[in-house]
Amino acid sequence: VKRSGRLSYHCCRLLLGGVFIWAGTVKALDVPVFAGQVAAYQLLPYAWNYAVAATLPYVELLAGALLLLDVRSKPAALLVVLLNALFIVVLLSVVARGLTIDCGCFGPDAGTTPLQALGRDVVLLALAVCVYRLHDRYRRRPAAAC
Amino acid sequence: MNRIYPILREALLIALVGMLAGLAVNHRLVLDAFAGRLTGSLPVAAPTNPPLPQPVLLEEVRELAAAGAVLVDARDTPLFAGGHLPGAASLPLGEFEARLDDFQRQVTATRTIIIYCNGYGCEDSFDLGLRLLAAGYQDVRVFEGGFPEWRDAGLPVATEGQ
Repeated sequence: VKRSGRLSYHCCRLLLGGVFIWAGTVKALDVPVFAGQVAAYQLLPYAWNYAVAATLPYVELLAGALLLLDVRSKPAALLVVLLNALFIVVLLSVVARGLTIDCGCFGPDAGTTPLQALGRDVVLLALAVCVYRLHDRYRRRPAAAC
Repeated sequence: MNRIYPILREALLIALVGMLAGLAVNHRLVLDAFAGRLTGSLPVAAPTNPPLPQPVLLEEVRELAAAGAVLVDARDTPLFAGGHLPGAASLPLGEFEARLDDFQRQVTATRTIIIYCNGYGCEDSFDLGLRLLAAGYQDVRVFEGGFPEWRDAGLPVATEGQ
């Protein structure tokens, strides 16, 4: 049981880290385009779309890198939980307002509808919760800070 | 439950470091955005309502016509022939498609256009205004009092050929 638990912890962690590195990289490479996609959500004043587009990819990159390297992975997993919870709320508002926009989660050409993105975010949220909960039991060396 | 707070604090610290890194890399873009120096257009919130023909009153019609505005009569050809505002062009709503090309050749898109028909209750001038706006005309106005108000004010009326 311990072995399979450890295996699921590392699988969840690596998968989640990889997804966030990928998502962050794609968006960080073209910030103005991502700003346009943030603007399509019609939630923020003009300039704040740029502020979100400039910072969010780097938060995702950092969280993804920490998860991949298994450094500070518990707080990184918690951050991913919070981010995904935020994304889910935002996507629900998109569905509620009947907007037909590209989610922009993984760059401009992904062509994901808000409902598909919602489903994916729920899965990512579950993965992050797994990493968070399994961390203390299955991480190789107990971390001093966590 | 209290155990989550140190971890939450650390999670927020990670977010903060990430945001600072993002701002460090993209500070120019963000500063330009907040200073309004960006020329690129975002598909932003504010829905762009289609422009509507603006209403004008009799006095304004006279002033604008004197200043070179184009008067357009949206009524049928026989009514136009029976009497119209001096200098008005005939562009009946029902013949819009057929006559648009001709009209565009004679009237450039930047000119002020004043459309009228048979007064209040006649919607042809407004509908024609919408179509001219859609065709690219930028300054389209509607004289809602129309031909009756003009005539009843004792202003000169032209008949066909005049």
